[in-house]
Formats: sequence, C-alpha cells, structure tokens
Amino acid sequence: MSYALVTGGSRGIGRACCIKLAEMGLNILINYTSNDEEAKKTQEAVKAKGVDAVLMKFDVSNMEAVDKAVGGWIETQKDKPITVLVNNAGINKDNLMVLMNPEDWHRVMDVAVNGFYFVSRLVVKDMVHKRKGRVVNVVSLSGLKGLPGQTNYSASKGAVIAATKALAQEVGKRGITVNAVAPGFIKTDMTAGLPEAQLKAMIPMQRFGEAEEVANVVGFLASDAASYITAEVISVNGGLYS
Amino acid sequence: MTKEVIIEKCMAFFTEEFEVDGSKISNDANLRETLDLDSLDYVDLVVVIESNFGFKVKGEDFVNIHTFDDFYNYCFTKIQEKAKEVA
Repeated sequence: MSYALVTGGSRGIGRACCIKLAEMGLNILINYTSNDEEAKKTQEAVKAKGVDAVLMKFDVSNMEAVDKAVGGWIETQKDKPITVLVNNAGINKDNLMVLMNPEDWHRVMDVAVNGFYFVSRLVVKDMVHKRKGRVVNVVSLSGLKGLPGQTNYSASKGAVIAATKALAQEVGKRGITVNAVAPGFIKTDMTAGLPEAQLKAMIPMQRFGEAEEVANVVGFLASDAASYITAEVISVNGGLYS
Repeated sequence: MTKEVIIEKCMAFFTEEFEVDGSKISNDANLRETLDLDSLDYVDLVVVIESNFGFKVKGEDFVNIHTFDDFYNYCFTKIQEKAKEVA
C-alpha cells in the first residue's frame, strides 16, 4: 500500500501530478491549504483511477501543522508508507524587487523553501530507514534563469534546486532519488494573468505547456524507470531555456 | 521503564537492525565504531529509538553519546522526562 504525497495538490500541476501518480497505481495524499472545493475535485479524479485518495489540509510553511499531519501519518499508518514525495506547493507574489514588500518576499520563500524542508525532513527520514523513495521537486524556469518581477519566486525555486542536488547526494546510497522538474509557461491559474500571445512568440514550440506534460515527467522520475537518475533538474518549457 | 529493560530493547534492535554480534556490545564499547555507523545510519538509529521508546530525538543529542552506556543513560533520561510530561 504505497502512497505518494503531493503538496499543493488541489489544482494545476499538483492536480495533474496526483492523477498521473494514481494512474501508476499509487495511492495519493493530496495536500492543500485552503480550496476545499478544488481539492475535492482532485480527490474524485484520483479515486476514479481506482486508488485511495486522502485529503490533507495544512499549510506546508507551518512546521507544527506539517509535523501533525505528515508526522502523524508516518507514525500511525505504518502499513501505508509514503514512497513518493512531490514537493509542488508554491505561490508567487510578483513585483519589481525594489517595490516588493517584505511580507511578499517572506511568504514566497516560506512556502517554497521552508515548505520543502518541513515536509521532506519527515518523509525522507522514513525513506532512509526503509531504503526506498522518490522525491520530485517542482521548481521553475524562474529558478534556473531568473525572471524579472519574480526575484522572490526565482530565489525560492533556485534554493530548492540547490537543495535538490544536496539532498540527492546525502541519500543516494540508500537508493533514494531526489530530482526536480522545472516547468516553463504552463496553463494554470498561476499563469492565467500573463500575456499568452506575446509570451508564446518567444517559446520555440510556440505554445504554453499543459499541466499533464509536467506531470508526465514527474511520473517518470517517480517510477522505477528513473532508478539511476538523481540530483537532476529536467526542464519542461517547450525549448524556452536550456 | 527500568534501565535493564531499556538495555534489553536496545540489544534487540542493535542485533536485528544493525546486524551486530551481541557479544561485541559492552557498556564501555564505542557505539559508533561497534555499530559501524555512518551518518545515514544515525537516521536509522533515530527512527528505531522513536518507534521503540516514543520520544523525539534531536541530531545534537548524539554529540555527547560515545559509549553504549552513554546511549542507555540518554534513553533512560529521555523516557523519564517524557513520563513526567505525561503525568
């Protein structure tokens, strides 16, 4: 009874990851912060694949909440180990850096970086002991290239990319892989306000990506087929940046 | 939980989890060397302590644990502390 925990799993790329991993036969723990309605839609879509789907409502940037939810699961559900962790939770609060207020800087960092740390430290500890696990961090083109107006988001994703590489080296000898997927412009709520026509002209494939195209790579990295890939960042950006 | 019971439990997981010959374990023996612990093995040790004794371990707790006796005393103290908290 293996489970995959997907943070920020209620919508967009997170939802697509939940569905993809469910198609691979994994039971899914769907983390989300606030949108009950969307989370339930994801839960239904996962259940339709014939696996278990458990909603886990907590804020990944709140250590106590993470300890209670994720630590509690690991402690009490010994026969339902989390073998796949997808750190997908993230938010953006874009502005020119000189105009950015400290709250927006900290909030973006808290969710992406602290969230990654709070959740992973519990799940990876169990993976180390069980000598089995896959961690996939959903980062961003913004963390590789840096995007103007997103210094906070770029910094947060860049930090997770570095942490991916470091953690992969820490746990590699236990057979645990840690990788990242860096989406470019993907059709989600996060990119809904962007000038798509103008931006897609810059993309070699001339279009925004679909969440499922990101989830396919996440699914691959979570599968046995990717058993010798670790500390890697795979871009899914239509050729926009390599 | 008495110290004797703690030692008995520890011996069980040392021999099972770390596949160490019980005859090599003595109170004065060096824990890290005898169990051949690398950094990730400490994670294993933390997990078995937490699941067997029910208290949370911090990484820095191991700084002053050198011998098996240090380890037994550490577990004994933490179990006592937890019992007091519950009471």
